[in-house]
Amino acid sequence: MTQRVTGQRFRQRKLSTKQNLPVLREKDIEQLADDDATRHIPKVETGVEKGEEIEHHLQAVISAAQAAAQGGGKIAQLYIPTPDAVASKLQYEDVYPKKFTQPATYIRFSSTVEDTIGCPYCMNGEDAAWLKQYNKNKKGVQCTEDDLEQAINFFEETTQTKQPYASVDNSPVLAYDDLELEFDETIGESARKFAKDIYEHWKQERLRRSGRPLMPALKFETNLETDDADPYVCFRRREVRLARKTRGRDAQVTEKLKKLRKELEDGRFLMAQVKRRELLMREQLALDKQIFQQRSDVKEIKRRLSIKTDDEDLLINQRPVAKPKAPRVDTQVVHRNIPGMGPKSQATRPDGRLVDSDLVYLEDQLAKKTELIDNFIEENLHKHQKWNQGWVDATWRPITPPLEQVSSKSDFRRVYTDSQLLTPPTSSSSMENNNASAVEKSKKSNEPRRNARIRFATPPDDVPYQDQSRFRRRTGRGGRIMVDRRGVKRQKIEDFDERVADRYNYAGESSEDEQVHPVDWTDNLHIRYRIMIERQGENRNVQQAAAAAAASQSRKSIENHNRSVSGHLLPPGGTPKAG
Amino acid sequence: MAPRDNSLEPSGTPVPVETGFATLAQLRAGVKAFVEKDGEIRKAEILMIQTRAGKPKFYVHYEDFNKRLDEWIDAARIDLTREVEWPAPEKPEKKKAPANKADKATPKADTKNLKRSRAQLDREVSGTPSEATSTANNNIPGSIQRKDSELLVTTEVTDGATPKPDDEEMDIVDVQDAAAAAKAVNGNAANDQYSREDEIEKLRTSGSMTQNQTEIARVRNIEKVQMGKYEIEPWYFSPYPIDFIDVDMVYICEFCLNYYGDVTQFERHRSKCTLLHPPGNEIYRDDYVSFFEIDGRRQRTWCRNLCLLSKLFLDHKTLYYDVDPFLFYCMATRDEHGCHLVGYFSKEKESAEGYNVACILTLPQYQRKGFGKLLIDFSYLLSKREGKLGSPEKPLSDLGLLGYRAYWQEIIVELLMDGRVEANIEDVGAATAMTTNDVLHTLQNLNMLRYTSKNQHIIVLTDAVVEQRERQKAKEKIKGKRSIEPDRLIWKPPVFSAASRTWNW
Repeated sequence: MTQRVTGQRFRQRKLSTKQNLPVLREKDIEQLADDDATRHIPKVETGVEKGEEIEHHLQAVISAAQAAAQGGGKIAQLYIPTPDAVASKLQYEDVYPKKFTQPATYIRFSSTVEDTIGCPYCMNGEDAAWLKQYNKNKKGVQCTEDDLEQAINFFEETTQTKQPYASVDNSPVLAYDDLELEFDETIGESARKFAKDIYEHWKQERLRRSGRPLMPALKFETNLETDDADPYVCFRRREVRLARKTRGRDAQVTEKLKKLRKELEDGRFLMAQVKRRELLMREQLALDKQIFQQRSDVKEIKRRLSIKTDDEDLLINQRPVAKPKAPRVDTQVVHRNIPGMGPKSQATRPDGRLVDSDLVYLEDQLAKKTELIDNFIEENLHKHQKWNQGWVDATWRPITPPLEQVSSKSDFRRVYTDSQLLTPPTSSSSMENNNASAVEKSKKSNEPRRNARIRFATPPDDVPYQDQSRFRRRTGRGGRIMVDRRGVKRQKIEDFDERVADRYNYAGESSEDEQVHPVDWTDNLHIRYRIMIERQGENRNVQQAAAAAAASQSRKSIENHNRSVSGHLLPPGGTPKAG
Repeated sequence: MAPRDNSLEPSGTPVPVETGFATLAQLRAGVKAFVEKDGEIRKAEILMIQTRAGKPKFYVHYEDFNKRLDEWIDAARIDLTREVEWPAPEKPEKKKAPANKADKATPKADTKNLKRSRAQLDREVSGTPSEATSTANNNIPGSIQRKDSELLVTTEVTDGATPKPDDEEMDIVDVQDAAAAAKAVNGNAANDQYSREDEIEKLRTSGSMTQNQTEIARVRNIEKVQMGKYEIEPWYFSPYPIDFIDVDMVYICEFCLNYYGDVTQFERHRSKCTLLHPPGNEIYRDDYVSFFEIDGRRQRTWCRNLCLLSKLFLDHKTLYYDVDPFLFYCMATRDEHGCHLVGYFSKEKESAEGYNVACILTLPQYQRKGFGKLLIDFSYLLSKREGKLGSPEKPLSDLGLLGYRAYWQEIIVELLMDGRVEANIEDVGAATAMTTNDVLHTLQNLNMLRYTSKNQHIIVLTDAVVEQRERQKAKEKIKGKRSIEPDRLIWKPPVFSAASRTWNW
């Protein structure tokens, strides 16, 4: 096909495959005087192997087609001769029964040949003859074809695994006893009954074929030298093409593997820990239950023995009494409010105690503290006086604390007690109230009994305004002294053990996205909201009641309508269809 | 086992051919004699001699005939009144190491196989094994001496002339230069000899299903095949189990494609086999045919069976490597018995060379009925769906070439006859999913690409082409036209990971 073009007289322009070329009919083009020009377009390869391209029949067809393309008259229908395919003598209908029904949708199928052909061994002519003979001589249960195939297939497969090179190294046929030991689910109950007899037949066949499998098998690679030249060896494994190996790649791969490994380990560890936690939790619950039961037992016993002590000790889960907090906390709170006295000046040990002074007396601390406060106030007073020298101070008011809002005034509530309260403790503000000497006296006497909740210090900054406990002492008529309080929390009846709470902290499913918004339910806004909700609820109740009333009304009217045949007007809502 | 010499390139030193008269007893493998074939006398090479029922039988290959016409003949058909050509003597200095190895290995396997399977074999193929191989190689006149190790890889040659669609450099195709280059490659092939190892490496890495010639046993090993309603004469060697050399007929189950040498066995199998269609997903169905997509990795046994079967009819198919990297698109007709396999094409899961078909076959019992065109059309439909240009893997067989040429012509002429006044080759390719080179090939082959005196290329719808198309249309009107309807294809191009494309259990 490819002929070297000779005799080029001018340089031809290259053919561009991207350019639009005019499409013309033959009648539209001028008859080329120079026929050579056409020949300058060379032939492209046919893609047929060179040795075959010249083959007689192909050439005949090609030249016939060529002639047709050139318009060279009538084309003979030429075919490349091929060996015959003729109708088979086999009765197709018998071998291929009509079993196929086409599904409405496209077939989707993934079973393999092995899944669909049943027992891979198929009985041949010899087997059939043997089976016929065998069954003739046999009384009672006959051996079926399936049994025979199953047994032989089992023998074949077992031999294949036990003696993979039986056909090469002439190893003796396995003894029946050896095979019997291997019996598994691939050989059915019925086949086993005949297995011993079938074995003899199988052995004969096997010997006849000099140790080769009874079913012809393909030749696969054996990794021998002869493999390559043997045209029967087929379907070799295709190895994975290796990527170029570099140090960097190796390291990368190692790193990745390590990372994956670590992540897997982490995950596993987490799961193990969760499991451990749950187990501990179960254990703890069991213990709690046991404690409870034992306590109730004790109670029973006490009843029976009529021991009359307080049952409460036994029945209420007693928590270890929380350790009293170190006074350090208080001092710190105070210091924070004083300029230049940061909390950092107090070096503390990790357990919360002070490092240097082994023994700190509360007395000393308090004295120091009061002194500091006094000094501070004194200093500021002087400062103010200095600033105000020569000025008329019209701004003295703002220095005093701002007036409390009207709304918050109502927060104060009276303390009602059954008995006369003790003289309230002094506060720093009372010092300025001109009865300093009295305060001084009472302070001394009160100090030892001081309750942890009543302090004289300025409330800490970080507590919200509403949460701050406030007290007010006023003197009423007749010299009565009254203490109003605000924001005082009632002490919880039972101590809440933080450690217990913590146990359940992570037990549930947690989400990091979840955010808890602290809400103060005593806040005015919330109170108002609650009131609104309640009112709405009331409204709805009213409405519901009204609706119920209306419904009963209409029902009544329907009943009326049904009862009275005379023309009652129907209620506007319409009635349900009768019947 | 030994390659037929496929070199046409002029050799430097023509080998003198020894000729002379021979007696029947002197004939041996490698001798070329004149043989009567269908009433005419043709030169034929004797490939094998056997004695059956006391009479010598000769397996001959006719020169310039396709291998599928090779056959066993009686001595009576050999014309001994004319001189025969003796195989050229061996030239040891030309031998190379790999060739030596191959030489040693080949006859060993050969004799072993034959000894085992043919009890009645009286005479070995030829005197000494090594002689047999070398004589088979070196006897074609006008050829240079080449061993098994040297072969011409047609794919390579084609590549020389193939403008890659993505290659900017080749936008403007200088067809002349390309052809010259191809010629050069062709010519160089003699010097540029491939070693056997190179070839196998190429097979392994390129995923090609076509086979180098040394792999092909030259003598058909299977007498006859029974499949479905037909008995078929195989065309070429196929590595079915060696035991089948002895049997008169190999029975192949139409659905699972398992093979049996014994009719009882086959019938027993049929009573158990439940498969009624190719074991994959149906991706196309019209009222005539269905297409099934089958993954070589998932349906290893079935695909192997299919390859063994198709090897009987495809010369250039290789079964050297396993079927994993291929998808098989199987066309079947349906009736109450099941879906009967009519033909198929295989396709690489990922083709480096941009092939959309590796092997393509209409089973012989269904040939010349228009199924081949449907197969080709379907392969291009898949390429269109993938948004790629495709071309069949080379080399093509003679029948393959004719089939493809007919398809290309029909599609391209049809496209150009829609009344357009301009066309460019790449657009035609894009519209039909054909490579630029295939379009070019077709236009040239039909003499449709001309060069005017105005220094311009034009496309000519020649009278002959138009007439042929009209005639085909008229025929279609009478007989009805079978075609693939793109709407009925329910298919997405499958995606494979690198691991699943290669060997992997």
